[in-house]
Amino acid sequence: MLEIKKACISYDNKTIFSDVDFLLKEGEIGCITGPSGSGKTSFLRALMGFIPLSKGEIYFNGLPLSPHSVEIVRREIAYVPQELSLPTEWVMDMINIPFSFKVNKVHPLIKEDLLENLQLLGLEKNILKKRTNEISGGQRQRIMLAVSTLLGKKLILTDEPTSALDINSCEKVLALFKKACKKGIMVLAVTHDLAFASACDKILHINNNNEND
Amino acid sequence: MKTIDIDYLSLTIGFLLLIIPVFYLWKFKTGIVKATLIGAARMVIQLFLIGLYLKYLFIWNNSFINLIWVLLIVYVASETALTRTKLKRNLLMMPVAIGFLVSSVLIGFYFLGFVLHLNNVFSAQYFIPIFGIIMGNMLGSNVIALNTFYDGIRREQQMYYYYLGNGATRQEALAPFIRQTLIKSFSPAIANMAVMGLVALPGTMIGQILGGSSPNVAIKYQMMIIIITISANILSLMICISLAIRRSFDSYGHLKQVFKEEKKK
Repeated sequence: MLEIKKACISYDNKTIFSDVDFLLKEGEIGCITGPSGSGKTSFLRALMGFIPLSKGEIYFNGLPLSPHSVEIVRREIAYVPQELSLPTEWVMDMINIPFSFKVNKVHPLIKEDLLENLQLLGLEKNILKKRTNEISGGQRQRIMLAVSTLLGKKLILTDEPTSALDINSCEKVLALFKKACKKGIMVLAVTHDLAFASACDKILHINNNNEND
Repeated sequence: MKTIDIDYLSLTIGFLLLIIPVFYLWKFKTGIVKATLIGAARMVIQLFLIGLYLKYLFIWNNSFINLIWVLLIVYVASETALTRTKLKRNLLMMPVAIGFLVSSVLIGFYFLGFVLHLNNVFSAQYFIPIFGIIMGNMLGSNVIALNTFYDGIRREQQMYYYYLGNGATRQEALAPFIRQTLIKSFSPAIANMAVMGLVALPGTMIGQILGGSSPNVAIKYQMMIIIITISANILSLMICISLAIRRSFDSYGHLKQVFKEEKKK
């Protein structure tokens, strides 16, 4: 369970948002919406400890996020940013990166599961044989989304997972998340996509007036 | 064989060669004529001063004074590295200085004791040039390395966050940046080593031959100088980075403002 209580982020004495409460339970898909510059991505990053909260608390399965617990919390998270460039020449090497981390070695990559996810996302299996500079940003993001559900994590955090995709592909991403949620995984995505948001179990709307639904 | 001294008149005749670069730099309006002349003037003053203090270091040949000299050049090299990289002194001074000191002492004494088998490893004739060449090389490679490392993390922040956000330890998340740093700062040295003697005769070797050594002895010293400088460079960098990492990231793994004036992202 992910619980956010009275969260507030400020930069240089300027409040980005304040008093944000949110609760996401196992098997739920949540999304963060709001106008550009409202602090959606900052909020997502705060959940991993990359941006400190000015006020408020974040709990992951009852454990408060703090300098002492941050590594423990991150072990349970898979994160897919909007734009990702990894220093690899081949797609397969890019896929293997998160599996090479010590904490993820208990869940080695099973190629059949990967191919199943890629198919679900409308990607051909021959994409695995390509170089990273031969695929688009959207394809790269979908591949890493496919990977994120295979790492054995309890929470997937993703930034604009459908921004570079057409409507059909958006539905496919949702299908992937729903499949993961059946295993008890929580998904929280920053999105501008109203169709995606309407299919989520929980919506957190952040705006300049700091209101949330 | 005794080296021919260059008297001041001959030195002046030699300096007349500077007219060639100055002429072309002036003719093509490069705007760096003044910098060239200032650079040459600084070189003359600095080298005369170094000649003066080295003369006394050799006359005294005192272990304690030689050690103080090492501490002094470690301090000067660390200050220079931080000035060139524009890194914050309070965060990086200790890592850089400790990296320089530990690395030069370990590698320098290893060479003087186990390779040259000196009875007195503080003997100025060997101690001063060996520590001097180690320090000079470490400074150059550490400046490139520190810039590459910190600029890399800032530029590729999304990659660093991706690693951490998927459960990587800080060490795992920093590994690609350390790898890139090592490649960028040591590739030139490795390439240089591979063509040593083919493209140009190396400095140490020329110095030894001019000093009266046989080419046979000179090449052995040259090999050793290359090996000890590369080893000392990497060792100092690894010590520096491993200490710097503890100081330059906050408790959540976020990079602090390490540059004096934060460059615009």
